Amino acid sequence: MDAFYASVEQRDFPELRGKPIAVGGGGRRGVVAAASYEARKFGVRSAMPGYKARAACPELIFVKSRFEVYRKISTQIRAIFAEYTDLIEPLSLDEAFLDVTENKKGMTSATLIAEEIRKRIFEELQLTASAGVSFNKFLAKIASDINKPNGIKVITPDEAIPFLEKLPIEKFFGVGKVTAAKMHKRNIFTGADLKAYSEVELINLFGKSGRYYYKMVRAQDDRQVKTSRIRKSLGAERTFFEDINNKNAMLAELHKIAATVYERILKSESFGYTITLKFKSPDFKICTRSKTVQTLIDDEEIIRTLAKELLYESKNIPDAVRLLGITISNFPNDNAGAGEQLSFDF
Amino acid sequence: MKFSVSSSELLKQLQMASGAIGSNPVLPILEDFLFVIENKRLRIAATDLETSITTEIEVMADTDGSVAIPAKILLDTLKELPTQPITISVNEENFAIQITSAFGKYKLAGENGQDFPKIPDADGVDNIKVQSPTLTKAISKTLFATSNDELRPSMTGVYFQVDFNKLTFVATDAHKLVKYTFTDIESEVSTNFIVPKKALNLLKGILPAGGEVSLAFNNSNAFFTFGDVKLVCRLIDARYPDYNAVIPTDNPHTLTLGRTDFQNSLKRIAIYANKTTNQVILNINDGSLTVSAQDLDFSNEATEQMACTYEGEPLNIGFNAKFLIEMLGVLESDEIKMALSNPTRAGILFPTEKSDDEEIMMLVMPVMLSN
Repeated sequence: MDAFYASVEQRDFPELRGKPIAVGGGGRRGVVAAASYEARKFGVRSAMPGYKARAACPELIFVKSRFEVYRKISTQIRAIFAEYTDLIEPLSLDEAFLDVTENKKGMTSATLIAEEIRKRIFEELQLTASAGVSFNKFLAKIASDINKPNGIKVITPDEAIPFLEKLPIEKFFGVGKVTAAKMHKRNIFTGADLKAYSEVELINLFGKSGRYYYKMVRAQDDRQVKTSRIRKSLGAERTFFEDINNKNAMLAELHKIAATVYERILKSESFGYTITLKFKSPDFKICTRSKTVQTLIDDEEIIRTLAKELLYESKNIPDAVRLLGITISNFPNDNAGAGEQLSFDF
Repeated sequence: MKFSVSSSELLKQLQMASGAIGSNPVLPILEDFLFVIENKRLRIAATDLETSITTEIEVMADTDGSVAIPAKILLDTLKELPTQPITISVNEENFAIQITSAFGKYKLAGENGQDFPKIPDADGVDNIKVQSPTLTKAISKTLFATSNDELRPSMTGVYFQVDFNKLTFVATDAHKLVKYTFTDIESEVSTNFIVPKKALNLLKGILPAGGEVSLAFNNSNAFFTFGDVKLVCRLIDARYPDYNAVIPTDNPHTLTLGRTDFQNSLKRIAIYANKTTNQVILNINDGSLTVSAQDLDFSNEATEQMACTYEGEPLNIGFNAKFLIEMLGVLESDEIKMALSNPTRAGILFPTEKSDDEEIMMLVMPVMLSN
């Protein structure tokens, strides 16, 4: 989906259409969860702190996120996918791999299926989607970004190798900012540059991922479309050079961890109901304290507040810690209510 | 006090009464049977203060008297004895008990019979009469639907609605409900009360195959009497839920099919259902019913198709297979009908054949389907 959250907001609130908007990030310390294309022109990106986004685009309109709505639309999109194939691997709420080698409609062209799905999403949900069509997951994922928004890109087997050779290294799926910088240092800027390295060299440079890069740049990706990937929890933790022995310092560290956790939450759209703090004392004893809330934890401020409450209100928290961590769990499942035994209304 | 009796006759009466003894009595004496001899009749009583059973047997006795005897040790002794006359003598000073069999002597410590809790008398009562097999049947058809939820005590019993010559039993656990009405009774009153599950369970086990049962009741107790046996139970002091309000009046889709075929299919499909929800899905179309279940955690899945008569819109609805299997087991007719409306509303289950002197209707709430 193109600028998914922002597009949904613009769809539901016509006054936002054609304007630079940011979903989330309106609070004092929040970060942007999604930016409309109008906002992206000014350099507003998701995961950007709200104040930076405002600085980049003074006219930016901040709107509150409505994850329940996004989740519902996501279910509707997946229902459309399911009419074509059962082999669906969701990457996030608004992105999924579909294996249409054998499809329910008996269509022979993956490109036509992609066009039909895009058309239906637009007609039924008034939202635009982009598609990438190719013979493996890696290429399909990269292709989907090429003609965004509202576009489609097909990479045929003949085109694959030349395409990858020309592709800037940061566009490779799985190459993040840090890896890209590392590669730039070694004068790797395109697929062709990467190809000059042997598998052993890449493994030496990038560890296990090296083998992945080696294969990807040669369009060798035989990973199957996995139909279920269920995340149970998501978190981050930090180990300190020196033990921390007062609560104010712990809170400061928890705030830093909260930022990382929130970034990860946003990336994987794993909003949960339970937050757990983890403490490791200098003698390596681990203790956890958790709290479950009624509404989804979908804001960095909420994580900070809950972490603070847990830190100050729980009993038997170690006086000193060598490690702190925050984990979010208890994610709602998409089929909420399914399997529930109903009762009489006595 | 001293009396003689056949060991097997005594054991039979004790086993009947022993059901009333609770597993963790609040008073030590509640682990005992009360023995009272009056005019050569031995009255045996057991109670947990909620439910009491008394029974009588003729014995050879020289005097009247009473004693409380530890139940377990007496039952165990009698179970190990071949049928023979035994003598039980009681020291009236210290309630020491001696049992004499053909093999030897057994001594145990009893307690003063006067300390045994008083079992309520049937005073200020109304009375109805019902045939024992009818009562047994009515209990069997309803008891399974009662709840175990102590937080909602009213549903842990069966609701008796007496309406002159008509008696209705209602049981529910908030997910399923049975309403069973029968007319084979003699009564001159119209009233209602809730009888606890434990009492009815005990009653079911000891009701005779034939004969009449007298059911008396006042505000706090019910008294079931048959032959020499009397079961007294405290009524559940709570308001029964307004069950009539949840009986759907407009369930337009009716499914008619063979009861045992349906039940057997459900038993097979249930093996593949999720073990927590026991959810089976009924997919009903004109002329065909598909029963299916899946357990995603184990990749288990099963589907069966069977013929049916169906009048209504195609429907997909989920139910707890265990509930349906139990409910179908209680019905007796060859064919049953299910009246349905939509996947979140109660389904009604009833036999196609109607009988003049009884009527049964069951409700079951669905298990939510996934999208």
